This record gives sequence, structure tokens and C-alpha cells, in this order.
Amino acid sequence: MRERSTDEKARQVDPWRFAGGFLQKVLSARIPDAPVWDEIPWAPVSKPLARSKVTLLSTAGLSMRGDPPFDMEMERAKPTIGDPSWRRLRADATSATVEANHLHIDTGYIQRDLDVALPLARLRELVAAGEVGAVAESHYSIMGYQGSDTSRLERESAPAIASAMKSEEVDLALLAPV
Amino acid sequence: MIEAAGIPTVTLNMIWVYQNVVGMPRVAAIEHPFGRPYGDVGDADTQRAVLRAALGVFETAREPGHLEHLPFVWHEDPKQTKWHPAEPSPIIAMLKKRQ
Repeated sequence: MRERSTDEKARQVDPWRFAGGFLQKVLSARIPDAPVWDEIPWAPVSKPLARSKVTLLSTAGLSMRGDPPFDMEMERAKPTIGDPSWRRLRADATSATVEANHLHIDTGYIQRDLDVALPLARLRELVAAGEVGAVAESHYSIMGYQGSDTSRLERESAPAIASAMKSEEVDLALLAPV
Repeated sequence: MIEAAGIPTVTLNMIWVYQNVVGMPRVAAIEHPFGRPYGDVGDADTQRAVLRAALGVFETAREPGHLEHLPFVWHEDPKQTKWHPAEPSPIIAMLKKRQ
């Protein structure tokens, strides 16, 4: 592990460093020059991290083995849409008990080490060290690629995930798109 | 939606410039390849450090739209970094056909 030097730190993270020219062109064409939203929602942090229950969310299409996996055939049949559903993952999930379905990344890394995308073992370490209050009972995954229509994800999955988090009295949610 | 439900969120994000599309309350920008936001396989030290840094944004962010550029350098040159799926995704294959 290496941290960026002082000169490097003064630089912004390059969002396209690993993207390649074609993908950068496709994705950046979809980003306007100015925000398209009016305001950003804001929930203030109410307690220190050391007393907070934390949940993790990944967009890597993760599901517990035995649960219905994310639907890749839907996307293969119609490339402009992705599976809008969501999955709950247990706090004791590992790469052996989870499967990753995602057509836009090499899922082999996650299948070898879940912590590259959903670091539950690392989170437990921070709890054991007293830096984080608790690991939530449940963690979450969606399919990061939604294509041209995010309405079902927004209308159905997002509220259900929020409701599940609230029922477990989660204090903080860390989201990590892949 | 999660934030609107009253739960503070941080997004650990490679393509942090999506902020203009989706206003994220707190963003920790990371220069890692797609598929491995927290670090590489078996690299527990980096995974832990990235997790710690991302969680730290909960304590430093003071207003919506807060953005921090995390100081981590991926251990491989982009030319050596393999993150693509075995086959192009259906949408990429479709777009390339149209070119």
C-alpha cells in the first residue's frame, strides 16, 4: 500500500485512470457540466463512529448462495436495462457464501476475496479495535448497471433497503459502487 | 433515498464526477480499478486503510456534497491492471457495433 505523495495529494483522483478511452468517452458523455439536481439530501451524523452501527452496500450484484442471483439474462436480452432488484447479505458473508453476478467487471477478484468490494472482515476488525461501534446484522447489494431506466431501482429497491436499514437501527451506511 | 430516510451515507467512488448526475451527500473519491474499490485480493492492510478513510468522512463532512480525494495509489500501472469482464458487457458490445 502506498499513499500519494504531497504533490499527488494536491491532485484530484483521476476518475478515468483505469477506464480506457472508449469507456471514458461513453460514460463522460452522460455527465453534464453542471449539477442536474436542485439539492442534496442530508442526514446529520448524530453520534461518534466508535458508537455507530455501520452497514455496507455494494453495487457488485452480490447475493447469498441459495438466494436468487441477480438476473444477467435480462441484461443480455435487453442491454439497455439492468436488474433493479436488491439483496440482503448476512454479516458473516464471505466469498465462499456469496456469489457475484455483474457483466461489467471481472467478478473473479470478489469471488476470491469479498473484502475487495464488501469488507465485512475489515469492518469487524475496526469494531474489535473500538474504532467502529458495531457491524449491522444485514448488508446490501444492488446491480450497479441500470441502463437507461433507474425508476424501478429508485421506486422499489431503494426504499426497501432504507426501510431494512432503519429496522436494524443502522447509524451509518457506506456505499461502494464497483 | 437512504439519506432521505435519515441514515447518513458516504459513497466510496471511483467515478466521483457523477456528482453532477446524482448529488451524493458525502463522497470519498478513490483511484482504484473497477471491481476493487477497497483494495486488491488479500491486501488486508489497504482494505482496512481505505475503509477507515471512507468512514472518516462521516466525521469530517460538514455539508451536503462534501468530497474528499483519498490518498491511495493502486499498486499496478493501469496497463497491467485487469478489471474487464471476460466478454464485453452487452451494452458496450452494442455500442461498439454501432461505431
